[in-house]
Amino acid sequence: MDKEKIKYTDEELVKRFQQGDERAYVELVKRYKDRLLNFVYRYLNSYEQSEDVVQDTLMKLYTSAHMYREIAKFSTWIFTIAANLAKSELRRLKRRRTVSIHTMGFDDKEYEIPSEAYDPAKETESNYGEKQIQQAIDTLPDQFKTVIILREVQQLSYEEISQILGISIGTVKSRINRGRLRLQKLLKELKEQ
Amino acid sequence: MDCYSFDRIISDYIDANLNVKQRKEAEQHIGECRRCREKVTDLKGILGELRTLPRVETLPDFESRLMERIENSKEQKESGFIRMFRDYSRPISVVAAVMLLVATSIFVYTSVVIPNSSGQAVPTAEIRTIQQDKSMAAPAAATVVQPALAGAKAETELPDSNKIEVPNYNNQIMMVNENK
Repeated sequence: MDKEKIKYTDEELVKRFQQGDERAYVELVKRYKDRLLNFVYRYLNSYEQSEDVVQDTLMKLYTSAHMYREIAKFSTWIFTIAANLAKSELRRLKRRRTVSIHTMGFDDKEYEIPSEAYDPAKETESNYGEKQIQQAIDTLPDQFKTVIILREVQQLSYEEISQILGISIGTVKSRINRGRLRLQKLLKELKEQ
Repeated sequence: MDCYSFDRIISDYIDANLNVKQRKEAEQHIGECRRCREKVTDLKGILGELRTLPRVETLPDFESRLMERIENSKEQKESGFIRMFRDYSRPISVVAAVMLLVATSIFVYTSVVIPNSSGQAVPTAEIRTIQQDKSMAAPAAATVVQPALAGAKAETELPDSNKIEVPNYNNQIMMVNENK
């Protein structure tokens, strides 16, 4: 199959996997593990949690491949699963990271505790731009954050983003425009700090 | 075009998604507005940085861990089936026993009792007619005739029923007629 696999499209591979060919599944894993990781990593900003989400996504592919129908591109289908799992994970992480420290102040403010998980970005301290950009992405409201990552980092088309998020192309365009402007504003604020 | 209108199409301008007329209007505006011109330059730079963000990669053992998880989930599924079978094996046995009993009863009833009730001869059963003795204050139950008494005349009191079929332990059936 090593020589044959090059000519198979993603959709053909899923079909083969649906018919019981586990090598097709392995090939899909190879094709998508890093693409999915880059999307989820920019979304969660936590390497370990992102890898877990990608593992869960690919597990879902294994257990639910029979649910895939060739009416959509495989990439949009798998990114939809990853996006949904990443959203759930982000909610869980926010609950875990945010600790109420009522005893330390007079007000009921909540303080963000940075995660101590492994983070490749921390290893390259000189790349200050990346840290700032990631910080700005983290601050974006979710509706802008997802489209910005899918469009600017993953470089998906408007149509693909529309299918992944289940929104119209018009809404995708509008969110990308507003998201970019919001990101620009956030980066300006970060530079001024 | 004012700055507010330009903000609404700035992405389309950068991505070159405007028609000729819109593009001309946008270019005219940024030619006149320094703020919007700088905004475009700045935004193009940010988008360039976003597209060239360092790529992260999965750890080398990612695939082996994934395959291990898949194998574990398969085993869990299998053991779950075995556990379910073990948990329900006793009720399943009880249900099977009851069904066997019912099936046997139906078989006996259809092969022995029904042919008899329609007046056909039952080769294995002996039928006795018993005269009812009104003076006996026996309960309204059929008397079972023991094999030793089969040839003798037996009497019992059956006040409310005309005919009762009672299967004998020794495969004998005694018919009891009420004789008023």
